[in-house]
Amino acid sequence: MRLDSIRVVAKREYMQRIKGRAFWIGTLVLPLFLSAVTILPSLFLSRSEARQKVVVVDSTGGAVAAELAAEKQTKPADEPAAANPAPAEARPGGKLAEARARNVRFDFLFEPPQPDAAAQRRELDRRVSSEQIGAWVWIDGQALASNKVEYHARSVSNFLTQEVLKEDLSSAIRRVRLRQAGLDPEKIGALTRGVDLSTLRVAKGGSRAEGGLAGAAFGYIVFMMLYLAISIWGQQMMTGVLDEKSSRIIEVVVSSIRPTDLMMGKLVGICLLGLTQMAIWCATLVILSTPGFLAALVALPEGVTLPAVTIPMILNFGILFALGFFVFASFYAAVGAAFNNLQEAQQVAGFILFFLIVPLIIMFRIINDPDSTLAVVTSLIPPFTPLLMTLRIALQMPPLWQILLAYALTVGFIVLMVWIAARIYRVGILMYGKKPTLQEIWKWVRYA
Amino acid sequence: MTPSLELTDVRKSYGDFQAVAGVSMAVPPGSIFGLLGPNGAGKTTTIRMIMDIIAPDAGEVRVFGHPRTTADLRKIGYLPEERGLYRKMTVQDQLMFLAEIRGLSRRDAQAAIARWLARVELSDWAKNKVEELSKGMQQKIQIVGTLLHEPELLILDEPFSGLDPLNQEIFKDLLTEYRQQGRSILFSTHGMELAEKLCDHICLISHGRAILTGELKAIKRQLSGNSYRLVADGDLAALSGVTGIDHVIPDAGGAKLFLRADADGAQVLRDLVGRVAVREFRSEEPELEEIFMKAVRDAA
Repeated sequence: MRLDSIRVVAKREYMQRIKGRAFWIGTLVLPLFLSAVTILPSLFLSRSEARQKVVVVDSTGGAVAAELAAEKQTKPADEPAAANPAPAEARPGGKLAEARARNVRFDFLFEPPQPDAAAQRRELDRRVSSEQIGAWVWIDGQALASNKVEYHARSVSNFLTQEVLKEDLSSAIRRVRLRQAGLDPEKIGALTRGVDLSTLRVAKGGSRAEGGLAGAAFGYIVFMMLYLAISIWGQQMMTGVLDEKSSRIIEVVVSSIRPTDLMMGKLVGICLLGLTQMAIWCATLVILSTPGFLAALVALPEGVTLPAVTIPMILNFGILFALGFFVFASFYAAVGAAFNNLQEAQQVAGFILFFLIVPLIIMFRIINDPDSTLAVVTSLIPPFTPLLMTLRIALQMPPLWQILLAYALTVGFIVLMVWIAARIYRVGILMYGKKPTLQEIWKWVRYA
Repeated sequence: MTPSLELTDVRKSYGDFQAVAGVSMAVPPGSIFGLLGPNGAGKTTTIRMIMDIIAPDAGEVRVFGHPRTTADLRKIGYLPEERGLYRKMTVQDQLMFLAEIRGLSRRDAQAAIARWLARVELSDWAKNKVEELSKGMQQKIQIVGTLLHEPELLILDEPFSGLDPLNQEIFKDLLTEYRQQGRSILFSTHGMELAEKLCDHICLISHGRAILTGELKAIKRQLSGNSYRLVADGDLAALSGVTGIDHVIPDAGGAKLFLRADADGAQVLRDLVGRVAVREFRSEEPELEEIFMKAVRDAA
């Protein structure tokens, strides 16, 4: 191997591709997408439905209206209904808390029922139509028994608003019923309140509060990042080799440098390009997970932060990407060299997807238990190591010996893969025309 | 004088098929050497073995007087039969890459690129992508890419195939210029006319074997005593039965006769007169094509 040859080839691969539009589109799509799914909805939601005027007509004798009004006074509308007997959907992290956190608030206007109910209803409809009020609620005399309340609004698809309203009304009616039964709603609320499970991740240097869901989501995001990067850049290797073959430049190049050096140069160049992309992606994650940054834009449940992206994590992700890339790209290089066009090559290239899909299948079991035997064993199997070790590191830093063992095994595996690939590559790049059979390719490996 | 390139009994088989079955030849310095033969004769395989793209099963390749090393490959300008360029690269980047893989420094490469682009009148295209160039321009870039590093030895596999007439002329001039500078050129072709005009040494290959090799002038001189031009009326093709005639190649004006080594021209003429109305019979130097056909026949 000649290092200067490898360097020249790697430089060409890197510079040509980083100048191209495709690289930047591919690189920026993911951060934009991630930002879009995390930030935009909350921005959008928090700006909408700020306050809604709701007319409440209570025909039960004013008891429900009184409770609604009282509740509004005792606590600010934007705090979770913690003092209430908590219904299932009111747990932190549930839709309701989310909706409250996003400022779904009501200004209740209490109006007494008129003798001519039909005329009153028509008048209320008119006020909704003319946008004097947002909605009206009709609590008829049987509501305490029938458990039914009417909600009239121009749009009835504002799901979150209805959830909050439903909870407010339920709470009010529940209190009326408790009082009628001679019980103290405040006392019952206090006695039956639910438990808040605060999730804390144990790491060196102490525990820090972290959303359990946020931790899993982080693992998932990092896993998918690597999955995408490895498969995209691996395939880039294949198309690059096919392109050199079909443009007939290859023989000129291999007359001056060894085919193995050409292959290594391409691997190194494209790997560096992938690392550049990963660096941009990691920077996005770091920014998104900086304490306070997201919180300023999105209302996270109190005390919960996203997992911090640490330097050792980033270094490990970089190493794991490089390892994963070499495992898969050396295979792709051999396939690209052996065949004449993308169609032929893809029939065989499909086989390698197995090694990318297995980690995808067992990913959720590992997210659930990152220390299980399944997780430890599969993350030590070379073709699976890059993706599964990444996932484990994102979820919970594994023991150092496991990481080092996994790296050593994978490096050994890469040496074998590159050796086989180089033999196929040397012969394949000069073969035009006939599509080789797998037996023929095996012969190249044995006799090259 | 030490040959620029020397092959000794080089062989290559694929399974039972002998692609090259023992080729020996020497390219003297300052010569244009033609590697001739029909398609499938083993020319490309031989050249690929010279360039270390294929490993020979047996035999030795020596360049500049010593067994060929990887470093030597950088002193050779190679234009393969299957040739192309990176389509998406600019002309400038492309040539820089080709220069760098031959070990040129960026500064030297930059100067060479500017000089060569000016020479082939493509300076204005340096920043264009290769795919934006016409086919003829791309051919020029390929030729420039082969010569950028001022190689001591040029190995060209079918260099003229597909070249437009204008580029053929440019290339021929370049080759002659190269020879004048004392450098050597080996090129393969199945077009005998072109080889005849350019080459001073040849090696004829047929079925993987070198059947005739040496200086073209000497080969012609050696064969000219036995080759005659005949202009006559009658069935000329039937003359191959005449004693002393090795074979007959009829053409527009009459026929070319090749006599056996031991035949006497005067005796053959006397026999001919009895069979056809002879109007002209004279000794004539054979053309390369005829030499080639005779050699193939003799080897068979």
